[in-house]
Amino acid sequence: MLYREAGQFKTSYAADQAIFTIPQDRAAFWILLALGFIAIPLVASEYVLLTIMIPFLVFALAAIGLNILTGYAGQLSLGTGGFMAVGAFTAYKLTTALPGLDIVFVFLLSGLVAAAVGIVFGLPSLRIKGFYLAVATLAAQFFLIWLFNKLPWFSNYSPSGVIGAPPRAALGLVTVTGAEASPVAKYLFTLAFVAILALAAKNLVRGRFGRSWMAIRDMDIAAEIIGIRPLNAKLSAFAVSSFYVGIAGALWAFIYTGGVEALAFDIDRSFQILFMIIIGGLGSILGSFLGAAFITLLPILLDRGGEALGLPVPVNVLTNLEDMIFGGLIILFLIAEPRGLARLWQIGKEKLRLWPFPH
Amino acid sequence: MQNGKTLGEPLLEAREISLSFGGVKALRGVSLAIRRHEILAIIGPNGAGKTSMLNVVNGFYHPQQGTITFKGETRRAMRPHQAAAQGIARTFQNVALFKGMTTLDNIMTGRLLRMKRGLLWQALYWGPAEREELAHREAVEKIIDFLEIQAIRKIPVGRLPYGLQKRVELGRALAMEPELLLLDEPMAGMNVEEKEDMCRFILDVNDEFGTTIALIEHDMGVVMDISDRVAVLDYGRKIADGPPDAVRADQAVIDAYLGVSHG
Ligand SMILES: Nc1ncnc2c1ncn2[C@@H]1O[C@H](COP(=O)(O)OP(=O)(O)OP(=O)(O)O)[C@@H](O)[C@H]1O
Ligand SMILES: [Mg+2]
Repeated sequence: MLYREAGQFKTSYAADQAIFTIPQDRAAFWILLALGFIAIPLVASEYVLLTIMIPFLVFALAAIGLNILTGYAGQLSLGTGGFMAVGAFTAYKLTTALPGLDIVFVFLLSGLVAAAVGIVFGLPSLRIKGFYLAVATLAAQFFLIWLFNKLPWFSNYSPSGVIGAPPRAALGLVTVTGAEASPVAKYLFTLAFVAILALAAKNLVRGRFGRSWMAIRDMDIAAEIIGIRPLNAKLSAFAVSSFYVGIAGALWAFIYTGGVEALAFDIDRSFQILFMIIIGGLGSILGSFLGAAFITLLPILLDRGGEALGLPVPVNVLTNLEDMIFGGLIILFLIAEPRGLARLWQIGKEKLRLWPFPH
Repeated sequence: MQNGKTLGEPLLEAREISLSFGGVKALRGVSLAIRRHEILAIIGPNGAGKTSMLNVVNGFYHPQQGTITFKGETRRAMRPHQAAAQGIARTFQNVALFKGMTTLDNIMTGRLLRMKRGLLWQALYWGPAEREELAHREAVEKIIDFLEIQAIRKIPVGRLPYGLQKRVELGRALAMEPELLLLDEPMAGMNVEEKEDMCRFILDVNDEFGTTIALIEHDMGVVMDISDRVAVLDYGRKIADGPPDAVRADQAVIDAYLGVSHG
């Protein structure tokens, strides 16, 4: 009897600790995965795969990375673009120096190099906070981009400075980079990579590491008295965050644009990823996806919306309109709902659960 | 001894602790021993240096003079996370919880020092990592039951009323399974009923787990009821130390509380 009861306890905590505790959520998750891995490759056009789905996934990965650092650990960073560039250029150097190395390992190693660089630029966080830390990460951003532009070694002394991603296969199976790679292969590879890393991130944030990051974010004094070493918590956040961001940079260059250039990772990119996590939700993996989807889709929807209304919007007006909408939304979210779209989604679900009875 | 339990040798001995902030002398040569298994109350008027004393003990403040011997090891100063690793837990006068996290997660953070699985295991959340997490979850559930806070498990602590926040903070400290528990005004701002609950928890912790407790409290009724020994601070000096009844009758203590001139 006693043994059984202990067993019961255990399974119930295990179930309670699961990512999706509600059956409908779990079902929705599997349906989404099936859509992503089966339905979309079958029906989506090359255009949709290459210009919507792939950038969306890469953005989502970068947003997860920044969310770990800023949303979970509370360390504001404006250096996301710089760390993406570290990942992209490391991947380039690795593929050219070691042509036989599988692209999966190239990307993972690029992430590790970005993590190491992240730790170095995370060191000031042990002393400074908030605004001053943001300025320090801004310095990292400018320094890294300057470095990649300045030293021709990073682009293998290419005279034009424009370097194409060489064709490489994933796990020796299909070519996923370079001009010959098929859009479906590129898309599925990116999706698999992002899905696995997102799951790993979810596991991290709900476990020991996530709790120590949130503890440092919410109250560093109390974190220290329960035995958390600020050094370990902050630097591990910088490392894991930069790992994700670095891989996102490598995917961006190798799979999305097909070329490596520092300009793609300038300060605008850092702000763009920051806006994603503000709109999507600080401290939420789901929010990282929502924010990335929002920022990828908004320009397209504006464009299509204008056309549908018979008012073709000129490109320059479109970008201005985009900026205005982003600006307005960011202010709105910061004031009204700092936890973003993910929180709105949660509130909606809670309401739906009680519907039609208002509590 | 009020309840007839036997007190052990000193678990912690602070000797001649002096601490000042610029011109303010918060502690002036205070010596204080905390013996195993006792409940020691530290009392005194506002600004007497009570919180400062706890801050010195758990490494928050580094005194200019004096030494601290904990579990036979003497030191001048250490960092709070080292104190935590050695078995000292505490709560704060103004609740210091992780506001964005749920009750459960807050108390789970108390187990962090005991969780060993590395980053890769955590990312996989599989096998040993999952078993470790669930084992600690079980330990934390026992604390949640003990403190009768099952209903607020999944609520972010920022949304809880003050009295419950204090209880969660105690839970987080208990999750560390400390040898020495420091409580800074655990009953401040509570109503009578909440105070009674908190007294019961403190006595039970001391009784069931044998935890040594040093607490700061202003409510004399509570102090007389639950403490084995009382130390009185006034203007950074220790002016009395002994059983509750003796301290209550002490002329220096009465003077301090009535505000008779200080030398
Ligand atoms: N970090 C600090 N910086 C400057 N002065 C401090 C600091 N901490 C405490 N003090 C001063 O030290 C003295 C003792 O303060 P402490 O907080 O220890 O008193 P207390 O006995 O806990 O009082 P209370 O009952 O009001 O909590 C006070 O004069 C206080 O102003
Ligand atoms: Mg105090």
